[in-house]
Amino acid sequence: MAFMMNKFRKNDLDVSNELHPETRFAQLQAQTRRHFLRTMSGGLGTIFLGTMASSYSALAKVAERGPDGLPRLDVTRDARSPLSALPPEFASKAKRVIYLHMAGAPSQLELFDYKPVLTKLDGQDCPASLLAGKRFAFITGVPKLMGSQFPFHQVGDSGHWISDRLPYLEKHLDDLCFIKSMRTDQFNHAPAQLLVQTGNARQGYPSLGSWVVYGLGTENQNLPGFIVLISGGNMPDGGKQLWGTGFLPGVYQGVQCRSHGEPVLYLDSPKDVSASQRRSVLDAVDELNQQNYAEFGNPETVTRIAQYEMSFRMQMDATDAMDIHKEPETTRTKYGSKIGESSFANNCLVARRLAERGVRFIQLYHWGWDSHGSSAADALNDGFIKRCHEVDQPISALLSDLKDRGMMEDTLVVWGGEFGRTSMRENRSGQVMKFVGRDHHPGAFTIWMAGGGVKPGFTFGQTDDMGYEIVKDPVEIRDLHATMLYLLGFDHRKLNFPFQGLDQKLTGVKPARVVGEILA
Amino acid sequence: MIPRVREYSIRFLFGLVTLFPILVVLSLLLFAPPDGNERTQFLQFLGRFHPLSVHLPIALLMVVPLFELAGRNRHFPFLLPAADFLLGLATCGAIAAAMLGWSLARAGGYSGPLVTQHMWGGLFVAAAAWSCWILRAQASSAKSQRLYAATLIATVGIVSFTGYRGGQLSQGENHLTEFMPAPLGALLGVNSSDSVPANSPNGAPGTFYGARIQPVFAQHCITCHGRNKHKANLRLDNFESLMRGGKHGLVIKAGDSKGSELFHRITLPVSDDDFMPPDNRRPVSASDMKLIERWIAAGASGTQAVDAIKDVPSHSVSQPAVEVAFTEIDDAAVAKKRADLADVVAQLQKKFPNIVDYQSRGSDEIVINASWKGSKFGDNDMAALAPLAARIVAMDLSSTSITDKSATALAAVKHLRSLRLMHTKVGDATVQALSSLDQLEFLSLFDTAVTPSALSSLAKLPKLRRVYAGETKISAGAPLPQGLKDRIVF
Repeated sequence: MAFMMNKFRKNDLDVSNELHPETRFAQLQAQTRRHFLRTMSGGLGTIFLGTMASSYSALAKVAERGPDGLPRLDVTRDARSPLSALPPEFASKAKRVIYLHMAGAPSQLELFDYKPVLTKLDGQDCPASLLAGKRFAFITGVPKLMGSQFPFHQVGDSGHWISDRLPYLEKHLDDLCFIKSMRTDQFNHAPAQLLVQTGNARQGYPSLGSWVVYGLGTENQNLPGFIVLISGGNMPDGGKQLWGTGFLPGVYQGVQCRSHGEPVLYLDSPKDVSASQRRSVLDAVDELNQQNYAEFGNPETVTRIAQYEMSFRMQMDATDAMDIHKEPETTRTKYGSKIGESSFANNCLVARRLAERGVRFIQLYHWGWDSHGSSAADALNDGFIKRCHEVDQPISALLSDLKDRGMMEDTLVVWGGEFGRTSMRENRSGQVMKFVGRDHHPGAFTIWMAGGGVKPGFTFGQTDDMGYEIVKDPVEIRDLHATMLYLLGFDHRKLNFPFQGLDQKLTGVKPARVVGEILA
Repeated sequence: MIPRVREYSIRFLFGLVTLFPILVVLSLLLFAPPDGNERTQFLQFLGRFHPLSVHLPIALLMVVPLFELAGRNRHFPFLLPAADFLLGLATCGAIAAAMLGWSLARAGGYSGPLVTQHMWGGLFVAAAAWSCWILRAQASSAKSQRLYAATLIATVGIVSFTGYRGGQLSQGENHLTEFMPAPLGALLGVNSSDSVPANSPNGAPGTFYGARIQPVFAQHCITCHGRNKHKANLRLDNFESLMRGGKHGLVIKAGDSKGSELFHRITLPVSDDDFMPPDNRRPVSASDMKLIERWIAAGASGTQAVDAIKDVPSHSVSQPAVEVAFTEIDDAAVAKKRADLADVVAQLQKKFPNIVDYQSRGSDEIVINASWKGSKFGDNDMAALAPLAARIVAMDLSSTSITDKSATALAAVKHLRSLRLMHTKVGDATVQALSSLDQLEFLSLFDTAVTPSALSSLAKLPKLRRVYAGETKISAGAPLPQGLKDRIVF
């Protein structure tokens, strides 16, 4: 509108200003009613268009809503502090998440899903009805049913059944909220882990932690908002994409830290370089980057500036946060942690220290749960026992510490794998194998949550007597994500990022449901 | 007389021309009634214009009596001749609407008493409008005028009835009374919530079918396969119809769940064209599928006792799902709530970035999280937050360098619900100052110098749920004030 106004003014007045005063006087005398009417009608037209413009801006307001009619959450921040904290959409129960991912998929039948009928049928041929239409990673022909390898007993006021493999964790059983009817559609580790962590079985999608930090930011600007710690000797099969940022700006990516030595390599200044020297170098680099951003407007430039700045601030805080030397001997014993190892125990202790420092999303991966029974390391009667031993005491100590500090009130702890394991013993190439194991099973698995707004001592969902198929209340991965976002204060449908013509969201395009039944 | 004859003959001609389609509709209704089978898409396409086309003749037929009355007034004599034209137009409109209506019903898979009554009503409307039109021209004597008036009144009656039935078909049987204010409903003697009896589940409650299976069909299926609509000629509102099946034959094969069309359809992937219920209606739940599967496998009996089939998801555990409701934030209302302190908040947010914030996007309450600042946040900073004291509901001051000097500042935060002081140097003085915070629910004193003597001030706080007192001088064995024992966590 403004430019049209200018045009009118230019024609009628501005140009004539430049004329000789006498000519101008003559011109003004020549102004007739016709001129007046012409100008006025133009003005009226402009006024009309002006009123239309306000209705167009109303349309633009509507466009802030998606095609589903829901508003989109505005998460724009000052470009210089892309990680700054934002309030959640509604008052939330959980302020931070500690996600314990057991990479390789632990057997629900050996830990939490008690199936006495399956134990009775142990050793019998698997009925054809369980095999019809199913595909397995390794099972061929007719496998044998296999009961739990470990005895179960009931614990606590909630009367949960648990096997004898987790003697420390069972003290906390009344604080845990189980979902025994998790379901996935992926039966290989990498895609299944990607599905659990990014909501999509393919690479290139932002992880759960990235979405959370994108939506909430992080208060502590001296540490990353999303930190990943790995143990068990191997990267999870899904690789670094599991904490990748996909199409979200790179600054929301998870930062993998080492749990001993320098948490992040090359974080410290080289010898003989003082902090002020480092600062002046950074200032110069920032200046260049700012110029580059002003010119091209690439958000990844901002990410780069932010990362440089954070690494400078992290020099102090990250080393302190990760340094378990600072914990008293008694605490380290409680976790079963030994300095110098990159163990799950050390990572749990670090996770607690990070949570105390306000890190928004802390993700631990422990590798080695793929209990096929093809070797001692992945056998239920060998490697699995060791894995249980490795995680049992640290998880229990972590839960205790969070509880003592009152942090369970607003910290959501999640434990789980990427799928379940079969009710049948694995018979690779149709042979009876030397070790005992189970194959991949996407149809049903168990996870638990604790703290931050979930019902303690509660079980949701149920599998059949074989522990094979869900008979009640199936929960999809996207439902889990919707529920976690709800606990963190978001309607999962409103937390979006436009990419490839879609308002992308963690829960994808299929309808997801917040599992209201498990909310405290 | 010649013009009179000429006029008569044209009317006669039109009368004949319009009578013919009325007879066509009549024969269609007689010989090709809707029977619940879906037919060609083109016919359905045409039929979809029925709801669009019906309103013209309805309006015209309602206007004609008005014109006839008003035209008798000396101010509006010109309305009288217009009525004739309106009647002619209404007749044509009614005929067109009736034909489209038949297309919709015949091809769209409708059947049942509602649609039958609506259809015959439509035909009678066309016939009545036609009669009015003919009679009006003949109405020269007082007697014939009375006949015309009676026919016109009858027409209005038929239009109302047919329109009501049409409304029931498209918007539900109780569409007029559903949201009727209760007093009005009581006055008229209608029970607005369930003025229409639920399709009675034909099945004794003692039988498995009656108690467990029929309710599933009633919930998911009978809108289209029930008393009033029999899509695909299938009715699921009683046991006999269910076992009779539909136009494709049986839908239940006793003893063979997987081979039963009904079970097959409800268990298909949602994206499948044959999936039931269609069009994004709520699918049958997993436990209900199990019920139907077991019932068919056990012989699909209508008389088997309710406890005869074992191993089915039990009634008692199928608690209603807990659905979470999301509300939309009203930005204007939020801005209004926040207005009085908005400037102060913005100022302090600038001073304390990532420390001061609203509790949520829809809230005017403030939360403070200074824990990440560590020792760089102290008593002076706490004092600087004083202007917000009345709005703060949660404070996390863990690991900061605040001391008992902040006790008064904390006591001024009247609406505080959650306070974290772990890993700080605060002592008994601070805790004693908290005795005025009657909204406090949650207090963490973990790793502070607080002693048992400070606790008495907390015992009276009415809403206090938890006090975390690990790593303090308070121990589980120490004598604790009455009423606080079960609220302290070590």
